[in-house]
Amino acid sequence: MAMEEKERLRSPSVWLPRDPGEAVRLKEAFGGDAVYVAGSTLLRTQWEAGTAPVPAHLIDLASIPGLDRIEETDDGLVIGSLARLRDCAAHPAAAGKAPLLVSAVKAIAGASVRNQATLGGNVVYRVGDSMPALLALDAELIWHDGRTEETIGAAEWLAGPSARPGILTAIRLPDRESGMTSNRRRWFAFHKVGRREAFVPSLVTVAIAASVAPDGTIADIRIAAGGGQTVPRRLTDAERLLAGRIPDAELLEHVYDAALEQYAPAPDPFAADSYRKRTAANLIAAELWKSLREPDRAGKGDGDASESID
Amino acid sequence: MIDKTLAQRSAGAVLECEVNGRKIAIETPPARRLLSILRDDLGLTGTKRSCEIGRCGACMVLIDGKPRNSCLTMAYQCSGRSITTIEGLADEERLHPVQECFLEEGGYQCGYCTPGMIVSVKALLDDTPDPTMEQIEEALTGNLCRCTGYGGILRSVARAIERGGEAT
Repeated sequence: MAMEEKERLRSPSVWLPRDPGEAVRLKEAFGGDAVYVAGSTLLRTQWEAGTAPVPAHLIDLASIPGLDRIEETDDGLVIGSLARLRDCAAHPAAAGKAPLLVSAVKAIAGASVRNQATLGGNVVYRVGDSMPALLALDAELIWHDGRTEETIGAAEWLAGPSARPGILTAIRLPDRESGMTSNRRRWFAFHKVGRREAFVPSLVTVAIAASVAPDGTIADIRIAAGGGQTVPRRLTDAERLLAGRIPDAELLEHVYDAALEQYAPAPDPFAADSYRKRTAANLIAAELWKSLREPDRAGKGDGDASESID
Repeated sequence: MIDKTLAQRSAGAVLECEVNGRKIAIETPPARRLLSILRDDLGLTGTKRSCEIGRCGACMVLIDGKPRNSCLTMAYQCSGRSITTIEGLADEERLHPVQECFLEEGGYQCGYCTPGMIVSVKALLDDTPDPTMEQIEEALTGNLCRCTGYGGILRSVARAIERGGEAT
């Protein structure tokens, strides 16, 4: 409620750049007095909670034409950073090429927030629920520094410093299987656990993407976990145990232990680390177990599915 | 510091948009919340103020037909858009069918969440006239009823689906 009086007294100027170069030049001119804004749903809650100051200048990335495009390319899917979460979830190309991302996006906030919030905003937040899915899909982030574009892997970006000059313009999901004549099927799973069923901050978020040979051998697998303020990471030890193997109960026990060991959640005031580690390891082992028992199950409800590569 | 071409591209002090079918131009700071503009500047107090962080849905409005939290939306984001509030659903003669169904089925207790609920349900049925229970639940995840009167609310939605948007 304090917001109401404040917003009259001190409302930021809003700048409407026409291209990424203009946006970056504005940021360079204003420095720390300016903040880039996309859907503004997270910024607004931070201003309201007092965890971030209301800046003197807002640079509105939504005014740049074309940044909200979603398009299928020969070798994958490109989603503009300003694409709204609702549009990511509803786009036929996303459902076809990246059903794992669609599951993740649908688990973010509520429907009305998804009408406003953008995928790029969720990515730049670093701990958003799209991030484990993007890591599992080996996504690339395309940045514009005001002069040129640079592509950097999502995992590499997360491992680096959070502040980065320039703006995120697009998220690219490479089609790892394109041109492959194999009969492997893609399999994925996504789980978000919070304190209630929907519209809830995550305690543990797990995403898995794999390609599986007809005999059940895991050809390729990426497992990522985040949750709360945890910066999502790949669980490479568990991945290594599974690669090239047909999972069985004994192997899954080792996978469970490896996930438990490697997943390091950022502290949460209401949930113990040990609980969250067990939850992440259980979700991963359970999803893999289900995929063994019901290999052709089409995903429904809890966000896991398998499909054939054609 | 800032060249003139950039200066021309800042959001102005006047917001031009459409509210409930009427074109308006209103002087307002560009980052002012739509919630405040509706309630305090335009006197449209059917849109309720509650959590103010986009969690409760009491301030739900339609922007170009899609439900949005007016507490999360700033003036400049409404430029050129069409905004519908709860006041814009009924015509002069009668209530909107969804409003009638909430009345008939007792889809409210204290009534504070009701305008937001009705706006969300209208958007759902405009988009999906015959939604599944899963779609209804998803459309209403962002609308909280602190009285926990969800039984009556779901009954009202079921009745509105039955009517297919028609007045009785």
